Amino acid sequence: MLKVENLNVYYGNIHAIHDVSFEVKEGEIVSLIGANGAGKTTTMHTVSGLLRSRTGSVTFMGKNISHTEAHKIVNMGIAQVPEGRHVFLQMTVEENLQMGAYTTPKTLKEDLEKVYALFPRLLERRKQVAGTLSGGEQQMLAMGRAMMSRPKLILLDEPSMGLAPILVDQVFSIIKELHAAGITVLLVEQNAGKALAISDRAYVLETGRIVLAGTGAELAASPEIKKAYLGG
Amino acid sequence: MTLLIQTLIQGISLGSIYALIALGYTMVYGIAKMLNFAHGDIIMVGAYTIYSTIALAHFPGWLGVLSAVVFCGVLGVVIEFLAYKPLRGAPSLNVLITAIGVSYLLQNIALLIFEGKQKAMPLGDFDFPDLKVGNTGITVTGEVIFTITLTVVLMIALTLFINKTKMGKAMRAVSEDKDAARLMGINVNRTISVTFAIGSILAAFASLCYGMSYAYIKPTTGSMPGIKAFTAAVFGGIGSIPGAMLGGFVIGILEKLSSAYISTQFTDAIVFGVLIVMLVVRPTGLLGKKIREKV
Repeated sequence: MLKVENLNVYYGNIHAIHDVSFEVKEGEIVSLIGANGAGKTTTMHTVSGLLRSRTGSVTFMGKNISHTEAHKIVNMGIAQVPEGRHVFLQMTVEENLQMGAYTTPKTLKEDLEKVYALFPRLLERRKQVAGTLSGGEQQMLAMGRAMMSRPKLILLDEPSMGLAPILVDQVFSIIKELHAAGITVLLVEQNAGKALAISDRAYVLETGRIVLAGTGAELAASPEIKKAYLGG
Repeated sequence: MTLLIQTLIQGISLGSIYALIALGYTMVYGIAKMLNFAHGDIIMVGAYTIYSTIALAHFPGWLGVLSAVVFCGVLGVVIEFLAYKPLRGAPSLNVLITAIGVSYLLQNIALLIFEGKQKAMPLGDFDFPDLKVGNTGITVTGEVIFTITLTVVLMIALTLFINKTKMGKAMRAVSEDKDAARLMGINVNRTISVTFAIGSILAAFASLCYGMSYAYIKPTTGSMPGIKAFTAAVFGGIGSIPGAMLGGFVIGILEKLSSAYISTQFTDAIVFGVLIVMLVVRPTGLLGKKIREKV
């Protein structure tokens, strides 16, 4: 479904991503794990079109989208939940969800119901300005907002960051629900243990390079990963 | 008492014109994060368009206004496309200097076409009767009633557009978080174009009101109201739409009060002095948002 080949991304003269290649097949949950600054978010932004690669290609459902503008990529079926949530703080919960449906106005009503069914908390707060929500609620809103565009592939960037442990579990169970609903998931996480536990496959990024790849279970069992990312 | 009430009404009328212009400044700042110093000159272009349509081509008054609205709207989009869009991502100083350049360019094109001698605005079609309020001695002129009414209608329309329509909501989304807006599928460039069009259309209406009050125009006509309106936008909190409306009225009333009660010569000094005090006491303006530091 998504194929990233020999991607090289620069910030000015800084070479942030070196020859990164990976693949996400339809129906999978794939994780990119790695430390801060390894290039996970940069990779995500390049897929969603917020950043441009200097060389290499991103192919989605057979189409090269390396030079496609971000707002058109959404239309093709990729939604990103950015790191730090980035909900529109001065807009209401419902307006945020309406923005999520910007490319799919026809199914707005139906999808609103779906999202409210999945996140009853958002229904209670639909008229509230998003800035007044708690961090966990904002994360729900960001995920609900991404679902509004009916994505085939959802990019989740650090969805559990900064959340209380109980909410972290909730976020991961929602990821499983999205996946069960037929959405393919590309997940970036610092919480490597939890990410690997739900992933079909995973890639490990280190200073802009992919250093390891395997199934979720393989990587979780690998001594190197245990030592570097799983605290043991 | 009569003088005070008369002055306040005139202040609201002048403030309406400033508010219409200030809305253009503040909306463009909110969305493109730039100060469009050529915005004041759009009023001048609007005024000359009205002049050309009515006095030179002998069309009726309403057509003059319509052509100014269309021409300014298109001009705003073209200026953004040619002058500012190529500078997206450039340091803000570059954009600022470009905007000042565009301002001089517009003034000098007008000077070439219409020469420096001032022209009378042919607004006979917009001659409305004055209103005498009982036997209080208060007279409200027709143009004041027209200006305030038009401004209120435009403000309501703009508020509805921003809050209720899909495009309006997209504009708010872009002004808050450009990247998140792109991730929603919003075409940021198109949103910026629409913002420039709306700001310039409001300026075209301002040029009609300005022409009704001041009767004469010249190529530098837009400068002073432009700067005053910019002051109003900053005073109200740049980036805030209600702030620009409020700021416009405050500056207009302040200007009229100080010329009625203190001295017409000190008016500008007082207006800008108040701005300086405001910036010292409350740098974000009356209704400005506090900028949150990102961690």
